[in-house]
Amino acid sequence: MSEIYVITSGKGGVGKTTTTANLGMGLAMRGKKVVLVDTDTGLRNLDLLLGLENRIMYDLIDVTEGRVAYKKALVRHKKFDNLFLLPTSQVKDKMSVNPEQLVKLCDDLRREFDYILIDCPAGIEQGFKTAIAAADVALVVTMPEISAVRDADKIIGELGRADKENIKLIVNRIRPQMVESGDMLNMEDINDILSLDCIGQVPDDLTVVTSTNKGEPCITMEDSQAGQAYRNIVGRIMGEDIPFMEFPKEGFWARLKHVFSK
Amino acid sequence: MSEDIVKIKGSKSGLQLSFAEDASYEVIRDDIQEKLASGSGFFLRGTLVQIPRDVFTTSEREELQKLFHEHGLICRTLSSDTERTPSAQVRKDVRQEQQEIRAESARMQAETQKAQEMVVVNRTLRGGQEIRTESSVMVCGNVNPGAQIIAGGSIDIRGTCRGMVHAGAFGDNTAFIIADHLVPTQIRISNLIARSPDQMEMADRAERASVKNGQIVIEPIER
Repeated sequence: MSEIYVITSGKGGVGKTTTTANLGMGLAMRGKKVVLVDTDTGLRNLDLLLGLENRIMYDLIDVTEGRVAYKKALVRHKKFDNLFLLPTSQVKDKMSVNPEQLVKLCDDLRREFDYILIDCPAGIEQGFKTAIAAADVALVVTMPEISAVRDADKIIGELGRADKENIKLIVNRIRPQMVESGDMLNMEDINDILSLDCIGQVPDDLTVVTSTNKGEPCITMEDSQAGQAYRNIVGRIMGEDIPFMEFPKEGFWARLKHVFSK
Repeated sequence: MSEDIVKIKGSKSGLQLSFAEDASYEVIRDDIQEKLASGSGFFLRGTLVQIPRDVFTTSEREELQKLFHEHGLICRTLSSDTERTPSAQVRKDVRQEQQEIRAESARMQAETQKAQEMVVVNRTLRGGQEIRTESSVMVCGNVNPGAQIIAGGSIDIRGTCRGMVHAGAFGDNTAFIIADHLVPTQIRISNLIARSPDQMEMADRAERASVKNGQIVIEPIER
């Protein structure tokens, strides 16, 4: 039973690609066979976050246009041999792939992989429509910030229009201190507007920056707060073979507050 | 006496008007105006009014249509079954518009249905989504910022309203807006506009916005 996730947000810079890389690696660490598909054609970054840029031979466009089989374009990760990246082209643009092509590709990938994570470009145009076409589940990433929440709301509406009903929320880059002092939207404010099932709350963490630059997602770092949050999300995703899993709100938050108040 | 100048007959699709044979246009117009102003139970907002096509000239018809429109009624012309002997002017009009009649009657059918229905939206309206209708709207869910509702009738929101809501969009001053939490970016009723204060406080009761003395007034209601 393979599942296709699309990681999307509407607004840029909220951490779609970071989330994709971390969740992909987290699922691979748990022994699942995972492929990450970058659909941000022309502005690809996922390969950088995974440190795989220098290993790319073929890309998504080569596959969808039938020049090579998808197996040839997959890049195996250095450390985890059950984690693959299907990079996209840096020279073409988003019109080069259409939704039907991606659906067909994902149908092929489904046979081979447990989890297919699609990294969606920012915006609501063609690139977005292509990226969500094949998805079973949409993970909407947002930040505790009014513009990011607005854009997430819009994206959820667009997903609904495309008949994607299984939508989960990940709130990224939370600064617990600012939330506590009332300078940042809290989870209640966000829930009021988005009213979505939340499966992750990730704190803003410097290790994300350093890990991005090193090409090693922070989920591998034992002492990273954000890494721990991503590991929790991976657990929730895997637990969701049983539907309607409740998001455990306590525990995680209490721990988080505790750490920050030291 | 005035009863006989304009006859109102209720039909399946709305009200059908017929006129005394010998009454002049001015008399008919004044009579209709009087009836509308009297607030008779006949002229409910959104009701479809049908007037015989060949009784009036185009300009007279347009004036009547405007009159009905001001009172929130939808006015359509109808080709009458009993062919009268139209004046030369009218006959010309009829010939010109003969082709349009069929298309219009199909359109009319659709609009009749719309005017009588109430649109029920069974989900949350999210940013960028829009409901545009000639009838009233009920939303079972929230109306988020960036969403829009434009309704010919009234709007009832069973949830929080944070978007832009426009009731009575076609000139109905009696339209109102109800929401469990009414904190919209803008409220419009008929041709009036009110925006939210820059510092918004959340009322914990349902509220109703309506027009009073030419102003949009918001008051708490029991629900």
